[in-house]
Amino acid sequence: MTAGAGGRPGAAGRFASAVFGIAVLVFVLAPLLWLALRAFAGSWTYPHLLPSQWSLRWWSQVWDTPGLTSSIRLSLIITPIVTVLAMIVCLPAAYAIARYRFPGRQLVLMTIFATNAFPRFGLFITMASLFYSLNLMDRMAGVVIVQLIGTIVFMTWIPAAAFAAIPPSLEEAARDAGAGALRTFFTVTLPLAAPSILVAVILSFLAAFDEAQGTFLVGSPDIVTMPVQMYSLIGNYPDQVAAVFSIMLSIPSVLLLSLVRRRVLGGTIAQGFTIR
Amino acid sequence: MTGRRRLSERTRGFLLVSPPLAVIAVFIGLPIAFGVLYTLGYTGGFNDTISLIAQHQSTGWGIGAYRDVFGDSLFWRSVRATVLVTVVSTVLVVGLAWLIALQLRFRAGRWARLVAGVSVLPMFIPVVIGANAILSCYGSAGLFRTVLHALGWSEPPVFAYTVTGIIIGQLWTNLPFAVLMITSGVQGVPQNLLDAARDVGASRWQRFWSVLLPLNTIPTIIAMTFTVISVLGSFTLPFIVGPTAPNLLGPLMEGTYSALNRPQQAEVMSVFVFVLAAFASVPYVWANRRAARGVA
Repeated sequence: MTAGAGGRPGAAGRFASAVFGIAVLVFVLAPLLWLALRAFAGSWTYPHLLPSQWSLRWWSQVWDTPGLTSSIRLSLIITPIVTVLAMIVCLPAAYAIARYRFPGRQLVLMTIFATNAFPRFGLFITMASLFYSLNLMDRMAGVVIVQLIGTIVFMTWIPAAAFAAIPPSLEEAARDAGAGALRTFFTVTLPLAAPSILVAVILSFLAAFDEAQGTFLVGSPDIVTMPVQMYSLIGNYPDQVAAVFSIMLSIPSVLLLSLVRRRVLGGTIAQGFTIR
Repeated sequence: MTGRRRLSERTRGFLLVSPPLAVIAVFIGLPIAFGVLYTLGYTGGFNDTISLIAQHQSTGWGIGAYRDVFGDSLFWRSVRATVLVTVVSTVLVVGLAWLIALQLRFRAGRWARLVAGVSVLPMFIPVVIGANAILSCYGSAGLFRTVLHALGWSEPPVFAYTVTGIIIGQLWTNLPFAVLMITSGVQGVPQNLLDAARDVGASRWQRFWSVLLPLNTIPTIIAMTFTVISVLGSFTLPFIVGPTAPNLLGPLMEGTYSALNRPQQAEVMSVFVFVLAAFASVPYVWANRRAARGVA
């Protein structure tokens, strides 16, 4: 297990690590590649490893299906609204948690954590009943709220950890030099925390964009976003159409991922999930 | 600091944290409170509309709804499936994440970084797509069967629409978070501690058990807790990949809520899942307390 810990790996160790690595790569990537191939398959029957015919017609079929294009539009409207709302609601709180000592600070952190500690779908079931009473079912506002709930942890904990990592002495120096509180925040604190905030923004954007189960429960039948559309695509349309739509739905994720890959792997998320 | 400044810091702190707390109170606290009241038969307040829509419910204070749900054998089959999937997926997720973390730490090369990087990829793929990908890869005409067939197995197993398929999917979707937590912890263990352990004659196994693991109790517990909660609260994956019945509690809740129009019984199941999750969170709270005291 800890093969080669601290020492030079032997040939057997290298072999084991190669096999293990290939197994992980295949496990993670194979389903995605298999799905991606399907989007270009004209006809493909078991047990052939590759399609017998290639085709691009599924791509035009997606654009010709009205329900699919309207769900794309809806997703592109709702997600930015949720992300900006999350920033407005959470970033000031993240700063306060990092910088101010006030009674109940630990409790606030735990409460925000608790939003993630409720098994999601159980929570959505109870939310739906409240939404009936507030007339938020099948409404854009209801969907925005459902998606906002999933962003709060990212948008408070990760920026809070970033703000806390900035030495207060830097802010004090700016203050001593005569800068006001706001100016200090915008010229010293915010630029230093910006990379982590970007990670939080991207994770929140993706959390909102990809949210399917709550949107499905609360937004149906009229507010159908891209991931919710997938529920009905799978099984009701040709597999190839679902595959094409899957690729389209993954594009924002893959693009945004490549922007912050290093930071995410570098422990920004991990740091954010430990209460300090 | 003067007393006045401390007071204003306090006020500012409260003011700034109030918006997310208000959102949580209104859209999480309130529905849960009224949800619990509804399961106990209270149909007033915010439960007025849902109780008009419901097909079958117990009104007036009592535990009729709980009796309905707990008396149903389909519910218990679903609970068993949920617990099984939760336990098996969590063990697999955390075990695999540890292996990836160890490989990254001790084989620090391009290959190990690539493996760790790719294992995080599913975090950025929408769960619906992950579920669809798993469904088609392990389905009757999937890659998994195709490869096994090519290797000479005439009737390879189909994991689409099975509990095994759900476990494969949970492993796929929950691996990234565990890898991030555990690699970050394992990378942070100082090399001189490991060297010192080796100098006093500790084997690899001993170094793992008595140095690496104890120093990473907290990230491991965090990874476990979040995986358990994520599996308990999942709907998409079991809905798409799982069998019709007994499926996990997520799809059962949805069916009870929407198709059967029995929101009260669905909320009883929510409360049940919340209680399970509360038990699962105990080690997390304990670990963070310990960390806060500076023990770990």
